[in-house]
Amino acid sequence: MTNITEQKKYSHLGFGLGLRKEHYQDVLDSQPAVDWFEVLTENYLIDGGKPLYFLNRIAERYPVVMHGVSMNIGNTEPLNKDYLNRLKKLKNSINAHWLSDHLCWTGTNGTNAHDLLPMPYTQESIDHVVQRIEQVQDFLGCRMLIENVSSYISYIQSEMTEWEFLNEIAQRSDCLLLLDINNIYVSAINHEYDPLDYLQAINPQRVQQFHLAGHSDYGDYIIDTHDEPVCKAVWELYAQAVARFGETTFMIERDANIPPLTELLDELSFARSIAGVVQQQGYHKDTIQAMLDTIPVQKVIHAEQEQMAL
Amino acid sequence: MTQENQSLKDLQQQMLAWLQVYDTAIKSSVTGTEKVPADIRLDIYANAYRYRLIEALEETFPAVNTLLGDEGFFELGLRYVDAHPSQHFSIRYFGQHLSHFLASDEHYLEQPVLSEMAHFEWLLREAFDAAGKQRLTLEALQHIAAENWPVMQFSFHPSVYRIDLRFNVPQLWQAIELQQEPIDIVAQEYPQGWFIWRRELKTYYRSMDVDEAWAMDAMLKGENFGFICSGICEWVDEQNAAMRVAGFIQNWLNEGVLSSIKAESGKNSLIT
Repeated sequence: MTNITEQKKYSHLGFGLGLRKEHYQDVLDSQPAVDWFEVLTENYLIDGGKPLYFLNRIAERYPVVMHGVSMNIGNTEPLNKDYLNRLKKLKNSINAHWLSDHLCWTGTNGTNAHDLLPMPYTQESIDHVVQRIEQVQDFLGCRMLIENVSSYISYIQSEMTEWEFLNEIAQRSDCLLLLDINNIYVSAINHEYDPLDYLQAINPQRVQQFHLAGHSDYGDYIIDTHDEPVCKAVWELYAQAVARFGETTFMIERDANIPPLTELLDELSFARSIAGVVQQQGYHKDTIQAMLDTIPVQKVIHAEQEQMAL
Repeated sequence: MTQENQSLKDLQQQMLAWLQVYDTAIKSSVTGTEKVPADIRLDIYANAYRYRLIEALEETFPAVNTLLGDEGFFELGLRYVDAHPSQHFSIRYFGQHLSHFLASDEHYLEQPVLSEMAHFEWLLREAFDAAGKQRLTLEALQHIAAENWPVMQFSFHPSVYRIDLRFNVPQLWQAIELQQEPIDIVAQEYPQGWFIWRRELKTYYRSMDVDEAWAMDAMLKGENFGFICSGICEWVDEQNAAMRVAGFIQNWLNEGVLSSIKAESGKNSLIT
């Protein structure tokens, strides 16, 4: 299929946050000014109890979308039907606006490595992933979003760039993209390319959602840890993304060192400010730089041996 | 899988073998840079594989972690990751074999309390996100005609789990959970019956006398009131048996662990 129109995308949801258990009660009590929440799918593929209790109540008050880590779309074994059944049931029960997962593989031989392992960027991978996304979309009866992952290795088998790989899969499978700005930055540093080359190459007609997150800097490479505030370089890239892709559903992910909700709301306000300025005035580096100078973010470089200590 | 994606399959097999057993075959497919060589890049994945899974164990088994200490728990995690690779789409289930592993791995045979603690913590986790279900009320029980009491069968809330513990595991767990002064590990002469359940969003546990534990086990298997009254005579006089079992049921109703009741006698039946 070609030439997807804006009408084929889902309605934009605005500025959201990842829902984390640390904030369940706070969200219900304070009903913060968050446009929507993204929920981690696997945390709710359970039978009952506290997580589902809070999810159901929050989904009554806010739009929600589902974000998964275990579809294993790049694996060469058959898709897990039990997983897909549960996914569909949860999506219907909370009326999720859409669901997303990662363009990667997470395990094989029946083993789940619980990591987002990169694909080789080959025609063989494209053919394989396209038919699997089509299977999932046929089963769910809706378009899914696939997200670019952070990566630390390159395979010699790769025949193209990551962005060419991503574009072709989205186009051929007729799915939408969840563009993770932080992941683009992380991979660009790790593989030593310009993140703007990536951003400028992505087909805007496919982009439904952005992710932003923090990472850990190890000097020669960086790791996508989601445990720190968004850094200035990633905010800068976000501003460029707003300029290129326009109005796009946006959210901030934090998965470790979870701060108070108010701290994430401040980050979300900052994202709104950047988007507002870029959409009104276009992208001007000096203007964005002046805005970035107002955030007191310290760059922390982690010791390499800390990560390597096994 | 088709013949066309054979090389993708091979690559994935090699990468998984690197993660699990440091098989170096994948190195011929990975490129590095001057700044970050391929070996360091592959180490990032191998380390992350273990750290992430051990972190999941830390979250599920905080008391086992405290009993072993951080270093000992990390070693346990490394051994367990190798022995029981995750098979489930959710990392929440990764620790399901830890109790059995602790009971059978040579490094832990002299610390049997660890296996019991892992079993206890796993059941707390199971109760935490078990399915919700209606609670049986006293009114529903009162609708059962007296002549049908012997054939009454009860079903329990899905969050109810029975466990027999030789060590003072729940007391140890509570002291750790509440960050109280450490208490001694005590082995009892006979195992003590306990049960775990969730009411609303809170998880509870309590000990049981031996006859109550037997009665709950029998009811969980579907035995009826009459059978249990007969069986309980091993511990109480026959004339007190029905009263004793009725007392258990009264407590379980108050605790919200019963879900439904079924009483069938000939053609008459009542299911609540």
